[in-house]
Amino acid sequence: MADYDRRDNRGADRYRGSGGGGKRKRYREDDDYERDYRNQRHRPEAPPGTRIKRGLLDIAEDANGRPPRDIKEQAVHIAKLAAEHWDDEYVRETFGTVAMKLIVEQPLKIPFVAGTVLYANDEKPDVAQDILGRVAPMCQEALDKGDWRGFKLLLRFLACLSPLYKEDGIVPILDELFNRAVDLQTASPEDVVGIELVKIILLTVPYLLASGEHVSLQQRASEILEKTEIVASAPHVLEALVDPYPSREGEEKPMAFGSLIGLLQRQLQGEAASGWKLACIPRVYEPRSKSNGAADGEANGDAEQSVASQHAFPAITVPSPINPGPKPLFPDVFFSLYADQEIESVPPTANIAASLVRDGLVDTINILDFNRNAAAKILTEMDNYWTPGAFARRETAFDKLRDFSADVSKWKPEDVSVDAIFSQIFRLPTSEHRLVYYHSVITELCKISPAAVAPSLGRAIRFLFRSLESMDMELSYRFMDWFAHHLSNFEFRWKWGEWIPEIDLPEIHPKKAFINGVLDKEIRLSFAKRIRETLPGPFHQLIPVSKEKDMPDFKYADDKTPFAPEGREVLSLLKKKAPEEDVQKILDQVQEQAAAHGFDDPLVPSTDIYMTAILSVGSKSLSHVLSTIDRCKERLLAVGDQSQLARRQIIGSVVDFWVDHPGNAVNIVDKLLNYLIITPMSVIEWALQDRLDRGRALASAQCYELISMTMQKVTERLGQIVETRNNTAVSFDQRQQINEVLPRERQSVRDMYAAIEDAVAAVAGGTQDEMVERFDDGSPERDLITLWGERWARVWRRKAAVEEAVVSDAAIGPLEEPEPEPEPVAPAADGGAADQGMDTVDDVE
Amino acid sequence: MPQFRMGSTVDRLDRPSSYAMSKYKRKRRHSNSERAPSPDPMDKLANATTLYVGNLSFYTTEEQIHELFGKCGGIKRLIMGLDRFHKTPCGFCFVEYYTHQDALDCMKYVGGTKLDERIIRCDLDEGFAEGRQYGRGKSGGQVRDEYREEFDPGRGGFGKKIMEERERYADEYD
Repeated sequence: MADYDRRDNRGADRYRGSGGGGKRKRYREDDDYERDYRNQRHRPEAPPGTRIKRGLLDIAEDANGRPPRDIKEQAVHIAKLAAEHWDDEYVRETFGTVAMKLIVEQPLKIPFVAGTVLYANDEKPDVAQDILGRVAPMCQEALDKGDWRGFKLLLRFLACLSPLYKEDGIVPILDELFNRAVDLQTASPEDVVGIELVKIILLTVPYLLASGEHVSLQQRASEILEKTEIVASAPHVLEALVDPYPSREGEEKPMAFGSLIGLLQRQLQGEAASGWKLACIPRVYEPRSKSNGAADGEANGDAEQSVASQHAFPAITVPSPINPGPKPLFPDVFFSLYADQEIESVPPTANIAASLVRDGLVDTINILDFNRNAAAKILTEMDNYWTPGAFARRETAFDKLRDFSADVSKWKPEDVSVDAIFSQIFRLPTSEHRLVYYHSVITELCKISPAAVAPSLGRAIRFLFRSLESMDMELSYRFMDWFAHHLSNFEFRWKWGEWIPEIDLPEIHPKKAFINGVLDKEIRLSFAKRIRETLPGPFHQLIPVSKEKDMPDFKYADDKTPFAPEGREVLSLLKKKAPEEDVQKILDQVQEQAAAHGFDDPLVPSTDIYMTAILSVGSKSLSHVLSTIDRCKERLLAVGDQSQLARRQIIGSVVDFWVDHPGNAVNIVDKLLNYLIITPMSVIEWALQDRLDRGRALASAQCYELISMTMQKVTERLGQIVETRNNTAVSFDQRQQINEVLPRERQSVRDMYAAIEDAVAAVAGGTQDEMVERFDDGSPERDLITLWGERWARVWRRKAAVEEAVVSDAAIGPLEEPEPEPEPVAPAADGGAADQGMDTVDDVE
Repeated sequence: MPQFRMGSTVDRLDRPSSYAMSKYKRKRRHSNSERAPSPDPMDKLANATTLYVGNLSFYTTEEQIHELFGKCGGIKRLIMGLDRFHKTPCGFCFVEYYTHQDALDCMKYVGGTKLDERIIRCDLDEGFAEGRQYGRGKSGGQVRDEYREEFDPGRGGFGKKIMEERERYADEYD
């Protein structure tokens, strides 16, 4: 935990007396260690500001390894402390700052922070007044900026404070938001911002109703639901694009929950029908009359707030038109690996808890990417943040749930947390953070409670594996990548035995391709011999001995290879760093011979020799091959310019040389793209034309990696171009030049997507030339190949559509004229201030 | 009355370690009189794209490092730490990314996780300079491998110093 205000003293303590050099180890846990150590001595109690901060930050968390006994009491205690010392400026600053930070950084604590404020208000209305004065501008700013998550959380906090308000509170804001959503939806059926607004409305309503038991509020909520029905229940046009399990028509989906707002709408209608129990939301605050606490004469019999402690609702205006925010949005679909199955180990999708809990956990995960340990701690203790009893005891074995009686919750905290993380790994079109972040959260979760989390993961893995064929292909690749990386953190342990039957499947079956892909990725993170050790016997055949060789054979060492003597000659010249002319002489001979033998392009065999020799010289490590390529780059560049086929041969030589280590090949191709020795289009043509192997190549993870890596490079570059063009700090002349080349750049990216589309659509339709020659209708191999074609087509169509949305005409806009001010210093200073953005508090570190 | 200041509710994992910072503190103290004060260390690391990576096994390869660290962005340069005398890997490396953000992501998501079944340590670094690829221990490797009392098969067994002493002890029975 951040503990900045006493740090200096501690630092002095820490080093006093520790004379020896050996003890000066540095651990992140140093602070905790000291806290315990210091508690052993009698120290004067910390000042109230410090206690308030600690109390608020830790509210509802486990203490001494146990769930808190009475969170309400914690809230009352902090509230009293704050109210008592409210004339202390440091206390006011602390309480306000920590409360605001918690809302936007640890959203599960919102109801508890709000409860604390409500209790404090009973003691001293100034506290709530001050807090409202802080939240309102932040909320307004988030709304104005289109920071939808921040806005949602601040609005939720305001909703939880509803007992404070004299008037309607947040309801008029919800009405206004809905009006904007309708405007946006009417303007375009593809609009997603309106959907986002409706989502925020629907996620706020439950917290609003849980904050007080006013019948009038329930009525308003029902009115809101009536209005949102049309927007929420209509399927969105972009929804199919982000469906994790796109099935062919008529097939049953492994997961068919549909859009998030559709689900929310139905869940809330269910709540409305059953009297808005909203059982999972913790009720932290009890109005004074109910609690037996202070028996001030002020408190009257009703649950109503006394007029003196009520406040005017702060002014927040919903702008028109609304700022859509910095990033293009896509509709959310609900993703769950455990929901609606035989045992109710997570909230069923008919229950509002499914959405509320998920929303809270996902925000926590995505916000706390800067400290995965903190994220994992909150996930581990997630049951603390909901109504006591809403979840089963932590670490309850899955099989035990079966025996629970109907009135006891079977919701298993580990399943709920794991489900939330996977929903982000498998979010389309992209996850919010790099996927490796979510990998690391799972790893930390396993470290905290290995025995409880591992079985949940096991069931998740089995679910995913079972329906691999119908999963979106990009997602099945993410699954493979996560699985291998995860195993690498846990001694590569997995019950491989249960997948032995899949070993006999054809190589291009999605399940077999998955197993092959995982093993290859494991080897990349480790080494072949080690991975073989971790596998049962029947899997050993999947890791041939050739994979144990660190340096591959040089194919020209074998006389059966055409041009073997010349190949060896070039290799020895390269090793000797002989002059270029000597190499040229040999390559010329090869070209002459090749021409005589009727090769289509005599440059192809000579290029193969040259590139293979480079790879062999540099086979010791990536830096060896890079320095060799660097040395030979002029010739490689020249070859590519001379002949398309020879350029594609360079790629072929790399992939063939490293056939047993596909990752090395991808890495080298990546570098060759950076050197401009090969072009992105040449990679696509090589992989999806030259080596398509009548479509079978589409089952190879390496093929997908090559294309993804290439397209990512291309789209990142385009993104940078657009960014520079729109950056007013860059000179107008330069931006104008960029503006002129931009249409050409965009077109070239479109051409590449089109090339991929042509190739994979032909496979999907079975019209690819080799396929037509080779297969009859109904052959099982042909069916598998067309399935791969369909899966590829879906992925790349989506990526192309997303690219058009990200770099759309609207996103690019007209080129901004330079600012009329002649002084160059002014805009820079402005930019600095704007960058500070929402951060109202300075950072000291 | 001190003003209350606070960064975030929990620590950030993408900050330089106290070790990285203490290096600057030491330097600053010594150079007090002769030289102009060096720039603020936070500024020096504010745009850092390089990471120091420690606690690697001597056997971990460049390719393995690429595979893991590539998950946080394209790698511009990878420099393996070498034994000063034998020019063999000695358990650390420098990874340079193209962007500062990639380096921060790596601190957050990869630092403290396993590579080659060892927990690795990542720290922001001001950038590689020639000479820094070599171990600074007496026998050529990293200093920590001189005095290590535990046996670590991934890092050459016992510490060099310890092994020397054992050998000497055994010699007496010759």
